[in-house]
Amino acid sequence: MLKYFINIIILFFTLSLFSQDKVKDTLAYKDRYGLRVGIDLFQPIYSLIDEDRKGIEFVADYRVSKRFFAATEFGFSEATIQEDFFNFYTNGQYLKIGADFNAYKNWLGMENIIVVGLRFAYSNFDQKVNQYTINADPFLPNQTITNTINHNGLNAQWVEFVLGIKAEVLHNVFLGFSFRGNQLINTKEPSNFKNLYIPGFNKVYLNNNGFSFNYTISYLLPLYRK
Amino acid sequence: MKKYLLIISLLTLLLSIFWSCEKDEICLEETTPILIIRFYDNEDPEEFKPVSNLNVQIEGIEGDYFESNISTDSIAIPIKVTDDITKFKLTINKDDGDDTNDDTDVFDLNYTREEIFVSRSCGYKTIFHDAEITLETDNDNWIKKIETINNPQEITNQKSKHVKIFH
Repeated sequence: MLKYFINIIILFFTLSLFSQDKVKDTLAYKDRYGLRVGIDLFQPIYSLIDEDRKGIEFVADYRVSKRFFAATEFGFSEATIQEDFFNFYTNGQYLKIGADFNAYKNWLGMENIIVVGLRFAYSNFDQKVNQYTINADPFLPNQTITNTINHNGLNAQWVEFVLGIKAEVLHNVFLGFSFRGNQLINTKEPSNFKNLYIPGFNKVYLNNNGFSFNYTISYLLPLYRK
Repeated sequence: MKKYLLIISLLTLLLSIFWSCEKDEICLEETTPILIIRFYDNEDPEEFKPVSNLNVQIEGIEGDYFESNISTDSIAIPIKVTDDITKFKLTINKDDGDDTNDDTDVFDLNYTREEIFVSRSCGYKTIFHDAEITLETDNDNWIKKIETINNPQEITNQKSKHVKIFH
């Protein structure tokens, strides 16, 4: 990539030498606008390693101005999580809507993106406590209770701060990585349990924050030039 | 592009470290409460009176709750979370070189149980409702009177005493 840059720089210098006395070229370069659709590669690969987690996520963005994109992600996820005193299962779906700002200034004709973005996200999901052991003095006998407790019809809303990159690796094909810091705004908690894992949000930490990321491959459908 | 890549990966690493060192990995909240008993003087019911060489056993459980006998005016002992009754055996003057003054008294604690979710790291705790205490009378009770602070007693935390023993 660096070699490419250097070549372009040399080329521009040589061009500028030749164009000293000429009339300025009035033909402006036009950016491509279109819809980019893709899929997350991380979750399907991760579920091959860890059978307790499964999920799929689709991503899309639409260029609205030179540096702004309307962006969305939606997906399904399920996870079985083992804690010290209990084991639970979460499954559900989520939708994230927001905007991306391209913080990268491209050379003409290049369409790489450094994403700084914001999302509003919603998920509805069910939680199930598979088994638990009462946390009590170890001097006395304890037993693991295996009655499943269902907590259905739960939901959550949160905001995500997105940092990421998208690079055009082949014509119209982009590879992307994004990291998201999440902050829960509102959630419907189950009675006598807590939303400890939310699809799309992942693990909910003590002060209602969390993080997630994706690794995407996407395709740009060019619609027009501007 | 390479510079940005480096910055982003470093930032990601930093944030991951920040988020993974959360205190919810360790259980810090109060879990299942234990029974707090205070010993009073039967002649002067306002005054604490320590017991000497006390040994505590719980029926159905092997071993002594305190590793060595204690002399104190306050103890805290666990309540069974698998049963609605716990039978305590309190022996005083144990292993003090004189077997003749050993005296064992038995009392029952009856209650109903409720399981409460605490947190990710602490899991569930049991709290006890409508606890009532009954002393088994024998020829020579060292416990003259035993009572709960309230009747019936709620045992939901271990901030203050639940039971008074007069001897």
